[in-house]
Amino acid sequence: MKQILLSIALFLHASKGYRKRKIFIRELLTNPNNPYKKYVDITIIFLIITSVFILIYEVKHSVSQWLDMYDIYFVTLVFGIEYLLRLWVHNDISESIVTAQKEAQFLGKTFSPIPAFQECMLEKVKYMLTPTALIDLLALFPAYRPLRVLRIFVLFRVLKLLRYTKSINQFIEVLSNKKFELLTLLFLLFFIVMTAGIAIYVLEEQRNPNINSLFDALYWALVTISTVGYGDISPVSIEGRSISILVIISGIAMISFATSVIVSAFSEKLSELKENRIIEQVNKSKSFLLICGYGQLTKMFLRQSKTEIEHYIILENDIQRVEQARKDGYNAIHEDASRYDTLHKFNTKHAKITILCLTSSDVENIYIALNAKSISSKMKVIARASHESMMSKFEHAGVDHILLPNMVANTMIHTAITQPTMYKAIHAILTGKSVARIDEIRAYECEFIIGKSIQVLDFKRYKLLFMGIHREGKFVFNPSTDMVVQKHDILLVMGMSISLEYFKSSYEEQC
Amino acid sequence: MAVKKILLFGYGNHGKYIVKGLINDGFIVQIVERDEHFYQEAIEDGYHTATKVDVTKDEALLALDPQAYKQLVCVMDDEHLNVFLTLSLRSLFQESYILSISDSIHTTQKLKMAGANKVIDLYEVSANKIHNILKRPIATRILEEFVVHKNGLGFREMIIPKKSFLHGMMTDTLDFSDFGVLLVGMIDEELGNKFIFITAGINHKLDSGDTIVCLGERTELNSFEKLIQKEEI
Repeated sequence: MKQILLSIALFLHASKGYRKRKIFIRELLTNPNNPYKKYVDITIIFLIITSVFILIYEVKHSVSQWLDMYDIYFVTLVFGIEYLLRLWVHNDISESIVTAQKEAQFLGKTFSPIPAFQECMLEKVKYMLTPTALIDLLALFPAYRPLRVLRIFVLFRVLKLLRYTKSINQFIEVLSNKKFELLTLLFLLFFIVMTAGIAIYVLEEQRNPNINSLFDALYWALVTISTVGYGDISPVSIEGRSISILVIISGIAMISFATSVIVSAFSEKLSELKENRIIEQVNKSKSFLLICGYGQLTKMFLRQSKTEIEHYIILENDIQRVEQARKDGYNAIHEDASRYDTLHKFNTKHAKITILCLTSSDVENIYIALNAKSISSKMKVIARASHESMMSKFEHAGVDHILLPNMVANTMIHTAITQPTMYKAIHAILTGKSVARIDEIRAYECEFIIGKSIQVLDFKRYKLLFMGIHREGKFVFNPSTDMVVQKHDILLVMGMSISLEYFKSSYEEQC
Repeated sequence: MAVKKILLFGYGNHGKYIVKGLINDGFIVQIVERDEHFYQEAIEDGYHTATKVDVTKDEALLALDPQAYKQLVCVMDDEHLNVFLTLSLRSLFQESYILSISDSIHTTQKLKMAGANKVIDLYEVSANKIHNILKRPIATRILEEFVVHKNGLGFREMIIPKKSFLHGMMTDTLDFSDFGVLLVGMIDEELGNKFIFITAGINHKLDSGDTIVCLGERTELNSFEKLIQKEEI
């Protein structure tokens, strides 16, 4: 038995396909940033809504057989598979057994896979007892038609929606932060209801025809304290009415207290909720910018961007600057970009993220760059450096582009002095003005141009100035016209924006 | 190129770099500094002609004779002082060409109001560069190489001499790439010294006295500059 268990664990541990599939399923079911998760969520939500609708409709009407079959077999089967998959991906038995074996080998102990197996199974049972897993399990029951009472479990299908609706989850999360206050309130409510109920029972049981049991008295107390007051039971004695007065007053006080607790819980969490919403929004896009710091450079960058940059978030340490950025109409959150947790909130696995480290401190910028690269080397980092002497440090940190504002400005001043008449031209080219935009035509994005010679592409016809080809890391200036475009070439051309667009669109049509 | 004299105010963060570049390009630079520390640095760096002057005093500025210089460059580290200096120079010397650097968004407007002919906004050009890196990383790098003449490639302006073979030729019919250079644009005296890009789509007639701006390797540009002296090729 032990040997079989170990063999299975070793086999599964060694199987790349198994591990790959398990990771894929885990990501699909649990990672909100997985691009395919939304399709799974939409499908499950659709199944929940349709099955609930069928069950409600079935109460008074007869439904066609195929709908019944759909609800009993298809929906339940999908829910069943989902439940089992969640249980499967919750932890990894084979991994635990193999790790335990390695540890035993290292320590020279005799190894048995049973404890590790038991521990994992216990972990799975613990998962099965969590509220969400219980809801998933109970949501399977309405499918059993012979017992009509089981249809009440349709409620659990509605509750299953909780997993897929973030706002309700957030509401519960916010309230859970005020657990102590709310529990105190509940205890107080219980105490008053019990006291008032017992008192009215003792005082009026003999005199009030509507109070026949302690349950009636407790029901009256709860209806009164909640300020609902149905009126089906009301006190008839002066003593009973006096208790009513006290219960009504304490009821108003308790409702006010409960309201203030909930409101304060929300106001405390409001900015966090808003920030989470901004992060969720940006995580949905395939590529976005994370701008660290809201200083002069960021302001100028965003001012120049106008509508060009759709998806971005400003991460700023200083709350006053965050508020300023929000006042200026930008998406800003109060977060420290140098913290691992901060950058980890973003969809680093599936989205193309570019980080702009634009704080005024080199130390901060390097730290953010290192933090980003440690999370994912795929993240592109553009960092601001204060001085040329810092360049090597930034390079070591893995920064993709280093920006030296002083150097850029100095180069421009130098150009303005040495070539004053040309300064405007160069400035226009550098700022990408419409008459003289320099653009890249990437061959792999427009396959039609691959294999064609420069002569055939005839840039002059489109009023474009062909400058050269960037091939294998080198720039070939003004190559001969019979040079043929290769797949990874980047062609550099200059021209008016409309000329470039016309060239691209006319070739895109042919692509 | 005729020797040009530049009066440069400030030997701080920007001044040091600019002076070095200008001297390499054959300019004569007169450094003026108010701060003792920066003045000493200029002397230590070998700029013995540097002078220490209180630029807030008009008489001190007059004594520098700024009119004798082609351009006045204000790159003081103290941005308040830089604005004040620009204003003083403009009020004293109406005709001088003043170039100033701005270290903040708000200073740019102030420098323009103070009378600077050209203001280089540090943040504007840097933000531009970020945009360019994001949109066209390769083009940005290569363009920078053109501007700083790295790897031998760069822009050059040339005046079409009298009796040059270029005189009377149309830009559409002439292919400069045959000479190893590319025609980027031109400054036509008849059209009021406005820079016209070749990509503007105007078939322009070249005349003697027009300034053409070409892009190419240094050696090719030198050869082409000699070639345009000829009446025929």
